[in-house]
Amino acid sequence: MDFSAVGAAASEAFTLASFIGIGGGVLLGYIVGVIPGLSRSVAISIAIPLTFYMSPFIAISFLIGLSKGTAAGSAVSAILLNAPGEASSAATALDGYPMAKKGKPKTALQVGLLASVIGDILATIILIFVAIPFARVALLFGPYEMAAILAFALVFIAGLSGGSIFKGLAAGGLGIFLGTVGLDNQTGLPRLTFGYTELMDGMPLIAVAIGTLALSEMFVQSEKLRYDRAGMSVELKNDRSDHITWPLFRSIIPTVLRGTGVGTFVGALPGLGPSVGSFMSYGMTVKASKDPESFGKGNPKGIAASESADNAVIPAALIPLFGLGIPGNVSAALLIGAFAIHGITVGPLLLRDNPELLYSIFAGMILASLIMLALGWFGLMIFAQITKVPPHVVIPIVIFFCLAGMMLQGYGTFGLVILIAFAALGYLMKKYDYSFVTFLVAFIITPMLELNLRQSIILSRGNWEILLNRPIALFFIVCTLVALVALAVRTFKTGKPVANAPAD
Amino acid sequence: MNRRTLIATAAAIGATMAAPAFAQDWPTRPLTMVIGFAPGGSTDIQGRVLANVMEEFLGQPVNVVNQPGGGSAVAFTRLKNTAADGYTFLFGGTTALTFTPIITPVEYEIDDFEYLAAVALGQNAIVTSAEQPFETFDEIIAHGKENQMTYAQQTPLDEAIIRAIAEEEGLDLAIVPTGGGGGMAPLVLGREVDFAYSGGTHAQYTPTGEMVVAAFMSAERSPFYPDTPTLMELGYDYSIEDYRTVIVPQGVPDEVKARLMEAAEYASESQAFKDITEGNTFFPVVYIGQEEMEASVRRIRAATEEVMGSN
Repeated sequence: MDFSAVGAAASEAFTLASFIGIGGGVLLGYIVGVIPGLSRSVAISIAIPLTFYMSPFIAISFLIGLSKGTAAGSAVSAILLNAPGEASSAATALDGYPMAKKGKPKTALQVGLLASVIGDILATIILIFVAIPFARVALLFGPYEMAAILAFALVFIAGLSGGSIFKGLAAGGLGIFLGTVGLDNQTGLPRLTFGYTELMDGMPLIAVAIGTLALSEMFVQSEKLRYDRAGMSVELKNDRSDHITWPLFRSIIPTVLRGTGVGTFVGALPGLGPSVGSFMSYGMTVKASKDPESFGKGNPKGIAASESADNAVIPAALIPLFGLGIPGNVSAALLIGAFAIHGITVGPLLLRDNPELLYSIFAGMILASLIMLALGWFGLMIFAQITKVPPHVVIPIVIFFCLAGMMLQGYGTFGLVILIAFAALGYLMKKYDYSFVTFLVAFIITPMLELNLRQSIILSRGNWEILLNRPIALFFIVCTLVALVALAVRTFKTGKPVANAPAD
Repeated sequence: MNRRTLIATAAAIGATMAAPAFAQDWPTRPLTMVIGFAPGGSTDIQGRVLANVMEEFLGQPVNVVNQPGGGSAVAFTRLKNTAADGYTFLFGGTTALTFTPIITPVEYEIDDFEYLAAVALGQNAIVTSAEQPFETFDEIIAHGKENQMTYAQQTPLDEAIIRAIAEEEGLDLAIVPTGGGGGMAPLVLGREVDFAYSGGTHAQYTPTGEMVVAAFMSAERSPFYPDTPTLMELGYDYSIEDYRTVIVPQGVPDEVKARLMEAAEYASESQAFKDITEGNTFFPVVYIGQEEMEASVRRIRAATEEVMGSN
């Protein structure tokens, strides 16, 4: 490591301008994160033009701060409203909301924040040390390995869904089916587009995600409102016993470390997003627990698992970006554009051409984590005020943001129609206890799985023996089969899925 | 309102109504530049810089709107249905017009639009990893005559061309889809495939010496790789031409088109646009006027139909 560059970088990172830039990014991200339906990638695309007049360092740190802020902020609405601010915080709501309902909203928020910040800082440190050497390792993950990991992720996450295995299969199957809509990757011929040009790139992910997660939740909440005037949001009282304690903090540390590991691994692999990370971490925590029954009912470890992984994905997604120039997910892809606007090509060249910039960005990322901690800790009560607003005011506002967020994506009226259709689907799934999480994950994974599977089959020319030379792929294929068998056996024995994580 | 302001207002209205002053007054409100790809790609990067420079020239903000889908097919469908007032224009490559309609039913045709000015030349290349035992396109072919080989495609067009060449040369070639430049790079660098198509992603990897351009599919050599031949020069009668062009729907008033063309020409001479487009994406900056572009688009379409028809 070039220490003179590190020194220069630190002095640039800790200036008033950078504090304002990064702090502004984190604050903006936090607010975007709190509001369900306004997503991270939307916020980044809107914010990129704002960075035209900043220095490259502040511009990039601002955008990374924004990303980090959304990951932490989304926990607030997941816990207090049961409406995750980002899809990736859906797992946080599973335990966060019940915990808040049980009169510990502040503790839940604090657990979420600390898990976020720790996951974030650790993953940033891992990024700093492995981004460059990673370039070599990442090349070991070819299509065989990616296909195997994706298949494993699909089965593993499906295993977490509530309800019967048949309902899980139905939900997953529907996700896979809808995931195949769009132009065929190789021939360019349209599949299931019914002549709609808008469907050429598939069902728009953002519409499917906002529809099944946020908008359908508003339908569910407004229905509840008819019978239950007490409302959906949890009121924050001035209860002195409601705060995180040292023993509680100590007890979640192993979970946070596991979550950070999972999040970093998932983030570093191009294509898998934070939602996969947070659900995988949640699932592993439930499995590792001595008391799996307590999850879904307000176990703080559930919040810690989801939030630490969610936040760890953000810096980890920059590992392939800085190491190889390949974005780990959508927000990282947007950053490539932001870099380019400032005349910088991201990738292995960055360290050689611009070491100071790279180290300043690393310093800026650590600074962003600390600002996030301070902002989250002291601003907790202020951000949580949104929940004091009565539901009959919140619901229309959230619906507005869902629709506006969709319009911002540029899909026009067509996007709104798709959004509302998926909201209706999500509502019915919630109502009849089909796992919308399994559906969504299957939908997100299918295009990647299809592409990698196709590549593997064509490249191997149909020869299975090639897998013997790919130990990583073989390992995940075995894991997938074991998970499938375990899932089936447990379901038929007890009539229950492996881990029961109720959707509501 | 006193009498003096009344007169001033009347004078102002008179001035706006005076037709000859029009050209200098346009535009009077912000413009929208449509990009048919998601943020982050080379079209988006070039478009955003272009928007900034055009804004400088026109004196009104130029807002960039991304309308991804179907390799710009969605954006063209929308553009066709917008008001032909010049306030909304598209910036992007021409393959959605010269190639997409051949294989996919779309709701637009070449004649629905006008091609005002091209400001950058597309860079389609065949690339391979520096760690492979071959480097030039001839060496790839020679290697392929002895061994089974793999190729990563990105569009049915480059696949059709490579398939035709493989047939001519008698290669045993397996062709895989990649889903874009981001997916192509790890396959090539990890040597999962022997060679691949690149629409511009190679600009990030050739300076490090990790990737090698074996041949260009464009009609002419790239000024950034002067020693690399084109397929045409190697004796294969195929090329993929692409122009990054400012496009408006049919029927925009002539004065407005003239202003947009002036703005595009101004941008093609601007240092900021050149720095990003040539320095970062390795696309040569040019200025090709409307007359030549209208002819080029139709000529490329006819040539592409021939290639696709022969398969």
